[in-house]
Amino acid sequence: MAAGMLTAASRAQEGLPLAPAVEKELAAKASDVTEVTLGKNMLDFAAKFMKGNDPDEAQAKKLIQGLKGIYVREYTFDKEGDYSMQQLQQLRAYFETSEWSPIVRERERKSGETTDVLMKVVNGETQGMFILSAQPRELTIVLILGPIRPEDLGELRGIGGLGALGDIGAKEKTKAKVKDGKGGTE
Amino acid sequence: MDEFERELRQALERRPAPPGLKRRLMAQRDANAARRGWHAWLSRAGYGRGWATATAALLLLAMAGGGVRWELDRRHEERRGEAAREQVLTALRITGHALNQVQTRLAEHDRQSEEGGR
Repeated sequence: MAAGMLTAASRAQEGLPLAPAVEKELAAKASDVTEVTLGKNMLDFAAKFMKGNDPDEAQAKKLIQGLKGIYVREYTFDKEGDYSMQQLQQLRAYFETSEWSPIVRERERKSGETTDVLMKVVNGETQGMFILSAQPRELTIVLILGPIRPEDLGELRGIGGLGALGDIGAKEKTKAKVKDGKGGTE
Repeated sequence: MDEFERELRQALERRPAPPGLKRRLMAQRDANAARRGWHAWLSRAGYGRGWATATAALLLLAMAGGGVRWELDRRHEERRGEAAREQVLTALRITGHALNQVQTRLAEHDRQSEEGGR
């Protein structure tokens, strides 16, 4: 399923990163692909159509209004091994800059599951979030650009458990450390 | 003289107006006024009643066409907006799903750490 796609040019224009080549390889192998790419203009446009009488949508509207872009990819594979650790590393490499700080990094050697959550911090303010969640047959990439307040996300419990970020944010504040999994391999 | 007086009296005698005269006069006055208005102007410009009717019909068609166009544009915009809204909700659901997975793994990791610490 392709929920929405922008051309590379318009994506670059709206401040979203260009799709790395690995993304095409993953999409070609996946049995089910969900792609959502929304630039600032589209987010502002969508905000007008959010239902104000629904508390979650009202909160979602508040959340997206300040964002620069949302970029989501969800790949489902028929069998294990349809994507490689090298491909994951290519995706991670995209965010290995000083602006991005890892808040969660977990590697499970047995199951092969990996989790990365990175935050973009500019002048002490969160200006982006990147999530890479890999399971043997499922891969999820989320990139949100713009000011993100975990407490705002925490209010969005009705939308697919989005409130989890509020919990993770709170957890990270108390622990204030990067978490490595048991297996701990890169 | 008597004959003359009698004829004069007869001529000056007040008689009631024939029934419907006033109505006919008023109708004629209105018709004349209308003819002097835009009809007269069109007639002078060389356009007859047929042209006037055609122009009015065209104007009506243009107005109706504009209305239909406006409505189609509005519906198109609404469909685009709904699609954008759906995409945002889909993106937020996937984000929520991914965050739930992160949270579950962290909780599992914490549980294992606690068990290992005992």
